[in-house]
Amino acid sequence: MNPALICLHEGALRITHPIFNVAPIGTKAIYVWDDEYLRRANYSLKRLVFIYETLCDLPVDVVRGDTRTIVVAMTPSMLYVPATNNPSILSKFAGITPATPLNVVDDDVFAVMEKTTEARRFFQYWSKVEKSAFLHNGGAPA
Amino acid sequence: MQLLQKNFDNRESLTDFVAALAPWAAGGPSHIQGGRQSAEKMLARVDPVAYGRTRNFGDGKITGLSPYIHHGILSLNEVRNHALSRCGEPVQITKFLQELAWRDFWQRLLSAHPEWAWDDIEPYKTGFSACDYAGVLPADITDGNTGVACIDAFIKELIQTGYVHNHARMYLASYVVHFRRVKWQAGAQWFLHHLLDGDLASNNLSWQWVASTFSHKAYLFNLENVSKYFGGQVDTSPQTNQPLHASYETLQEQLFPNLSRSL
Repeated sequence: MNPALICLHEGALRITHPIFNVAPIGTKAIYVWDDEYLRRANYSLKRLVFIYETLCDLPVDVVRGDTRTIVVAMTPSMLYVPATNNPSILSKFAGITPATPLNVVDDDVFAVMEKTTEARRFFQYWSKVEKSAFLHNGGAPA
Repeated sequence: MQLLQKNFDNRESLTDFVAALAPWAAGGPSHIQGGRQSAEKMLARVDPVAYGRTRNFGDGKITGLSPYIHHGILSLNEVRNHALSRCGEPVQITKFLQELAWRDFWQRLLSAHPEWAWDDIEPYKTGFSACDYAGVLPADITDGNTGVACIDAFIKELIQTGYVHNHARMYLASYVVHFRRVKWQAGAQWFLHHLLDGDLASNNLSWQWVASTFSHKAYLFNLENVSKYFGGQVDTSPQTNQPLHASYETLQEQLFPNLSRSL
């Protein structure tokens, strides 16, 4: 069985992201420089330089190509991906499952909501998270 | 599969390398550098108490952390924990924590409603319907040649640095949507192209807030407001900012005539 793989995206470029604790110790991490995705995103050069500078600071391999093609070719036993709400980023991983098992890992929580009902305006939301927002780690256990 | 290099002699060679990877990408690099080390330097400079008092001013103690937060180089949790360690009493940093919370709020909303990224959440409250707004940004806006001095200064900063003060972003958004009657979606796309912290949730939902498709009323500003908060940073003389030089009542009547008629 091939080892697991961490595939970072542009919204989770740090070594302290929980994904590095969730994945088995020593799991290889990559960032795919996906030309087609970046071209569609229509980022200016300054955005791309900022991302690349950040990648140079990280212990990840930067590989160029189509995300799905690269990941599938590596046939990892499990693919770990940081959670995101950006549909464009999500689309890069479309079609990878079920051939490759996928584990989407949430980032650290900023604040815990006291009630799960949706807050449509900010101060409705704030009234539900205020207590947690003032606490170290949002009040979560270390 | 091509493994890309990560070691460069200097920033210029890194920029040249990225430009060769993406020949379609316009412009040059920002003076704002990516990477964890840059993020930690910025974080060390944060004064969360002064931020609360001065954040709306062009020369206020803003943090510049948003590009690092957007890319996950810093987490909201980490920034909050750092701020808590830099104050006497947590209540002193309420405004700072609320600004972090705004980002968390936008993220939660987009996760629950992915379609809100580009669809109007509510109708415009301007007396106009969506079809009354242009779908494309005029070239004078994208080029920073509107003839409104403070707006052009903010646009040039956006193009050159990929970072604009949050208050100035609201001016720009309001100018695009309400003074020029362009759909907020066109402006949001423009910001996402340039902003180093261009985040689908924070950016697009903030544009909807200014446009009034996700708020009770449209966000308007005038020259007096720009002068109060950015008078030391940009040209705010009436002669070079004519369209903005009016009272809120006058602007409301000029920009939203259908609302006046319906009263």
